[in-house]
Amino acid sequence: MPDFDPEAYARQAAAAIGLPLHPAHLPGITMNLALARRMAGLIEQMKLSPADEAAPVFVASKTP
Amino acid sequence: MSGTALAAQIRAGTRRAADVVEERLADIAARNVNFNAFTEVTAARARAEAAAVDAKVAAGQDPGPMAGVPVAVKNLFDLEGIATLAGARIERDTPPAGRDAFLVRQMRAAGAIMLGALNMDEYAYGFTTENAHFGACHNPHDLARIAGGSSGGSAAAVAGGLVPITLGSDTNGSIRVPASLCGIWGLKPTYGRLSRSGAFLFAASLDHLGPFARELADLALAYNTLQGEDAEDPAQHWLGHAPADLSPEIGDLRMAVAGDHFIRGGHAEGFAAVEAVARALGATRSVTIPDAAMGRAAAFLITMAEGGNLHLPNLRTRPDDFDFATRDRLLAGALLPAHWLQQAQRVRAAYRARALSVFDEVDVLIAPATPFVAPKIGQEMIEVEGAMIPVRPNLGVYTQPISCIGLPVIAAPIADLAGLGTPGGMPIGVQLIAAPWAEEKLFRVAAALEKLGICAAPQIKAGDSHPR
Repeated sequence: MPDFDPEAYARQAAAAIGLPLHPAHLPGITMNLALARRMAGLIEQMKLSPADEAAPVFVASKTP
Repeated sequence: MSGTALAAQIRAGTRRAADVVEERLADIAARNVNFNAFTEVTAARARAEAAAVDAKVAAGQDPGPMAGVPVAVKNLFDLEGIATLAGARIERDTPPAGRDAFLVRQMRAAGAIMLGALNMDEYAYGFTTENAHFGACHNPHDLARIAGGSSGGSAAAVAGGLVPITLGSDTNGSIRVPASLCGIWGLKPTYGRLSRSGAFLFAASLDHLGPFARELADLALAYNTLQGEDAEDPAQHWLGHAPADLSPEIGDLRMAVAGDHFIRGGHAEGFAAVEAVARALGATRSVTIPDAAMGRAAAFLITMAEGGNLHLPNLRTRPDDFDFATRDRLLAGALLPAHWLQQAQRVRAAYRARALSVFDEVDVLIAPATPFVAPKIGQEMIEVEGAMIPVRPNLGVYTQPISCIGLPVIAAPIADLAGLGTPGGMPIGVQLIAAPWAEEKLFRVAAALEKLGICAAPQIKAGDSHPR
């Protein structure tokens, strides 16, 4: 698996959503992305089946 | 004096709400400088509400169960006529709220008197209330230490005796952490129990609102008052009123200590608090909440993503107006891959199913509320199990897996801090955790612990709360 480069990722993802990045903010952003990746690595370890739906369930209307 | 006792006097006509308000306003004017808990004092409103309560009493009308009880709310609750700050300088530019938040309206209808808005971490994204715009909130038990967060002002105002009851919000621990660090009671109800309309949300799929109090009876009074159906909160799941039961009869309840994730990663005082409560309740069993660490990780990612998305317009145009402590987390949150978020939501549901199975065998779980007592203001790192770790994210290590799946929790303060041997005699609490919608069981266990003398808000030592 290729190494994760949080700074390069941040630059590309920010461009994709139209978010200007200030150089002074990059160290904090990359630190937080690296921490998020560690958390994501943890939840990747849970075995899920196709039947495992996401927690929030869309409700069409509050009352019928 | 407790809010419950105060309401009884005012309802009986032996004390005037107007006098109580003047006493509270004078006390806040003199001592809030120590804690930096209030960001706005609504004196004119409080005087008008007190006059209305006194008029009702004089006319022989029922002024409500919270008649004349002074309250205040975290500054993310809408208060009619003032801007809802949510701890953010950015929100100073927003127009004043057109009406009170739902829970504020509930308290007002019950006769409570609104004293003002309270300090918090910016947009509720933090556990320390070291707010770059409005200053750090100080722990009434030691002014050099944090009050916890993100509802730090709500906890400090109660622990410092400025008001008996406040409201806060809890996304990952923001009621339970400051309640533990300030040594007071806090309730995070089941997700969906109380309406959140009129509150500035943070991560909506995880956001809860709830009360703080020095007295357990006041926590119950507030909880009973706050309940009500509100079609404006899409997450509310209204099951009807479920009043708190303060009967200390717990013979039929099955209790256990949370093991695994909840017996690691903290200092001795957090675990000693759990032991003291378990011993008093005769809880000898230990059970594991499966995958709690994964639940925490899922909550971490969902919070980042929902918060980042919510604030993206301002992150694009005025990032330097954010508190630097929250800005970079929100920026990173806006950039998370969709896969991480969707995986987190699926893990959250799978973790919920596994965790709920614990309650087939147990009614109330006991777990630490915080891994240590309140750190010093400005402290970045702390030693845990031989390693230096960051203070701020780790304050929620035990609360985050629980709010991830919306379980109801009472944060219960340990009464005898000397007996527990906490560092500096600082307060600490435990989490009492139940299955969804079982708040009634938590109140019974809390009442038993209060009756046994194990849990109560510890007094502030003379000299600790000196003027700065």
